[in-house]
Amino acid sequence: MSTFLTDTEAMITTWHGISAPNGTGLRLAAELADTIAAFEKLRGTLVFEDEPASFEAALQATKETAA
Amino acid sequence: MSDLADLSMTEAADAVRAGEVTSVALLEACWRRMDAVNPLLNATIWTDRAGAMTSAEAADIAVRNKAKLGVLHGVPMMHKDMYYQAGKLSTCGSALRRDWRPTVTATVIERLAAAGAYTFGGLNMAEFAQNPTGHNKTFGDCHNPWNPPYITGGSSSGSGASVAARFNYMALGSDTGGSIRLPASANGVSGIKPTQTRVSRYGVMPLSFTHDNVGPLARTARDCARVMTVIAGHDPRDPTSAREPVPDYEAALTGDIRGLRIGVPANVFFDGADAPVVAAIDAALAVLKTRGATVTRLTLPLMDAVAAYGGIVSRVEAATIHAEWMRTDPQAYGAHISGRMYPGYAIPAPYYVESLSRRGPILKAFAAAVFSQVDVLVTPTIRTCLPTLAETDIDHGPPSTETKFMAVSANTRPFNYLGLPVISVPCGFDPNGCPIGLQIAGRPFAEARVMQVADAYQRDTDYHTQRPPSVPLGLKD
Repeated sequence: MSTFLTDTEAMITTWHGISAPNGTGLRLAAELADTIAAFEKLRGTLVFEDEPASFEAALQATKETAA
Repeated sequence: MSDLADLSMTEAADAVRAGEVTSVALLEACWRRMDAVNPLLNATIWTDRAGAMTSAEAADIAVRNKAKLGVLHGVPMMHKDMYYQAGKLSTCGSALRRDWRPTVTATVIERLAAAGAYTFGGLNMAEFAQNPTGHNKTFGDCHNPWNPPYITGGSSSGSGASVAARFNYMALGSDTGGSIRLPASANGVSGIKPTQTRVSRYGVMPLSFTHDNVGPLARTARDCARVMTVIAGHDPRDPTSAREPVPDYEAALTGDIRGLRIGVPANVFFDGADAPVVAAIDAALAVLKTRGATVTRLTLPLMDAVAAYGGIVSRVEAATIHAEWMRTDPQAYGAHISGRMYPGYAIPAPYYVESLSRRGPILKAFAAAVFSQVDVLVTPTIRTCLPTLAETDIDHGPPSTETKFMAVSANTRPFNYLGLPVISVPCGFDPNGCPIGLQIAGRPFAEARVMQVADAYQRDTDYHTQRPPSVPLGLKD
């Protein structure tokens, strides 16, 4: 078992009190390394002023005005 | 008239309102068909025949008394079993809620009832709406009416199968990563995921606060339009619902799409697509061109970011909602359900907040780049020929099964993060006799436009009227 997976399991247990339910969970937890890699590629795109609440404003800003 | 269960929802509703058929006759036609085919499909979890008959008889009395009738008057329906009706079973497809009865009724159920519809049961679904295939450990897998060893798509599996098998005029589904559009595609019916915030989610089982959507699966785009006119709009009980005016979507179905600019993605959506699917989409585009639309191939921006961020948000939110049961009763879930939620607990909060923070700017950039060039995007709903239940059974198959399982929703997930309205309508069949879906996406709040395009397409094609071979003929009144 990789150090990454061991650390991930320990972190989930410590922070949430949840154990790996099965092998599928462990396998997918190991694949979080791919998630980290995907985020690494996106570094530098988050702007200081970005905030979650801007999504509803974006829906309005980009909406269909005349169908 | 032939079997009443073969009517579309709008045909059925209009016939009741005109006094041409009774609601009792519609209900009995649905029951006959359900009794004949559901043992093969496993599309329902529970039924309420006595309650439904009471509602049907009351609807018929209202017609005879010339009462004011709603646009769905006297139409029997069943929905994905996660739309709460006070005092009635709502299993959410899980052993954890096998006997659960909510104390509230969903706003969308109330709005459908106010328009004259009533329910006669609850439909099978993926456990807690968490898979794209229709596998269900507790209530059994749902089977495709066109070819039963094949998936129905999920998570609204029973919604798609029951409408396709013609024992249900319309079913609500929910769509967090494709769960309306996938069963619409796999079962050869029409289904729309509205713009995020368009339809109230009060009284609807949550999966992902920011990605969940409520919408109809029915036989035609016109059916979807009538339902959307009834259920869309702000709801004080769901503060996230938009205060956007609701048009008469059905009135907008003119068939006129002259000058419509259609975009077809040159990246992502056709990667690894199977030839029969590509051919069906090309043929559909040719139909739309004959009605005066133009087609442009374009590269969609930011798709890596959409994939990365969208996956984070729904995983974290689902894991959070289910944390208590994951601590206390994890084995009650299907293995792939709990297994897929588990990594969600390891995703750092800054990743989650970054994913939410980028959603608005990404939508703006995407819309500016894409909708300045085209009015709608057209893609396959599912880019491969439909897989079997066995090929996507990740609880019992090898780890490689996961690849096929995830591929099912590859074309639907991006639109949930972007929050765009998207409809799927049938546009052909693969070599196994399973339907192929045409996905049409538009700007935020462009439900009228995407349904108009879908309706125009259905005026020139008959895929939406074809009957699955597993559905018997001859069940006449």
